[in-house]
Amino acid sequence: MTPLHFEELYSPEWRELQGLLDQLLVRNKKTTTAGAPIRGERFAVLYRRACEHLALARARAYPAYLLDQLERLTADAHQVIYYRRDYGLSRLKAFLTTDFPRSVRADALYVWVSAGLFYLPVLVIGWLVYTHPDLILSVVDPRTAASFDAMYSDAAASVGRAAQTDWTMFGYYISHNIRIAFQCFAGGLFAGIGSVFYLLYNGAEIGAVAGYLTARGHGHTFWAFVVTHSAFELTAIVLCGAAGLKIGHALILPGRLGRIQSLVAAVRNCAVVVAGSALMLVAAAAIEGFWSSANWLPHALKYSVAAVCWLTVLSYLCLAGRRAD
Amino acid sequence: MLDTVVAAETPEGILLELHPAGLPVRVYAFILDWLIRLGILYGIDIVVHFLGEFGVGFWLVTVFVMEWFYPVVFELTRSGATPGKKRFGLKVVMDNGLPITPAASFTRNLLRVADFMPFGYGLAIVSMLLRRDFKRLGDLAAATLVVHQPQPQRRATMAKVEPVPPVTALAPRDQLALMALAARAPTLSGERLNELAALAAAVCGLKGQRGAAVTHRVLGVSQWLMGRRA
Repeated sequence: MTPLHFEELYSPEWRELQGLLDQLLVRNKKTTTAGAPIRGERFAVLYRRACEHLALARARAYPAYLLDQLERLTADAHQVIYYRRDYGLSRLKAFLTTDFPRSVRADALYVWVSAGLFYLPVLVIGWLVYTHPDLILSVVDPRTAASFDAMYSDAAASVGRAAQTDWTMFGYYISHNIRIAFQCFAGGLFAGIGSVFYLLYNGAEIGAVAGYLTARGHGHTFWAFVVTHSAFELTAIVLCGAAGLKIGHALILPGRLGRIQSLVAAVRNCAVVVAGSALMLVAAAAIEGFWSSANWLPHALKYSVAAVCWLTVLSYLCLAGRRAD
Repeated sequence: MLDTVVAAETPEGILLELHPAGLPVRVYAFILDWLIRLGILYGIDIVVHFLGEFGVGFWLVTVFVMEWFYPVVFELTRSGATPGKKRFGLKVVMDNGLPITPAASFTRNLLRVADFMPFGYGLAIVSMLLRRDFKRLGDLAAATLVVHQPQPQRRATMAKVEPVPPVTALAPRDQLALMALAARAPTLSGERLNELAALAAAVCGLKGQRGAAVTHRVLGVSQWLMGRRA
């Protein structure tokens, strides 16, 4: 078959496919110009035919302009055929009820190691600063230490901040806390060292502040402030750290895969964990901005709500999505 | 090995050719995106000045969303590119040629933190300069590729030449060479076309001659081989 004959024979099909593509891509409509809906099976048939024609044209070494035309046509149709549209509410529900907690449990070992790396400095540095409050000055400068005192004193109108309102602080917590969590994850790309560093560093910082304020006698205000939102915030940081440790591990010990392949395989699960953690951090920021800071709420209420939050978070991560296993 | 084409095979058994985008064009796209984000933030800043404390909180959240999710949102649209990338004809795809998945887009943009190290996207630049497919660390981990969007080409119109049968039987290879010449003819200068056609002058019995008349006859033979008869 000569090239011209080939083109003459099949170009009506190519034009039909191109027409459907134009309608889908340019005008982003689901109907043809006549108003009828675009039929998926017809599109798929035309796409497969065009693929066959391209393979034939290549095998027969037809002129370049013909190959170009078919290559572009199939490449565009390929993108349309394999485009994913499942971003709806059902996808979000599946993510929250099964995907996220399951991914966390799949990497349980990393979560335990990450929790150790984070909570150990909290306890050790916290105890050190509690027994020797002067040590806080080796972590922050004197002015910041004084501002901690002011923020958590009984006289403060709202706890944990200087003068800003709930909304300002909500915005601040979102950008600040989620950044820390993302750093814990991305640091894993440096053979896991970055994740280890960020986990230890943030653990030490939190421990120092907690120890200092408890030693200075602001403990009751401080603990009532942090105990609720920390259920989401600290857990999310630990989870992001775990994801970072996993990709670090995948890079150091790739096993039978290539290093890059091993990294790609590890990241697939981690993306779910980090996305879920980001949602937890948004919840944490909302609680921290609007609930934790309200000093007029009785402490008993805050502690009971906190207990419910911690129980919910932990049982959610341990139990949710098991039934479908 | 100057060509940086990456071939991806589809389930239909054809090879898609992907053309990875290099460092300079991606830098331009990044700068454009950065300016767009700056413009949006500046606009919102002006508006929220009238909203008081709520406005400040709203602005901080916007800064955060712009920093982390501006690329994700645009990469998941049909064009698969942020406005900056689109302007420079780039798009993000999986390295097997498929449209980018939400998880991959999320990952490659989160890992900007690592790419940024030690400053000014240092690691991203080093990684892109060292690799043939110009991936930065985020692309490596997410298995994504930034490619040049195939540009729609103008259809080559072959000059109307009277088809002439060849004077001798031609081997398949020679037939292909002649057809390729005919398809390329509109893009070549007259002199170069004459030069190339002179090499094939034997097919119309004018061996050793050259010039516009010979070229005309050779293209005529090509047309005959392409299947034109009248």
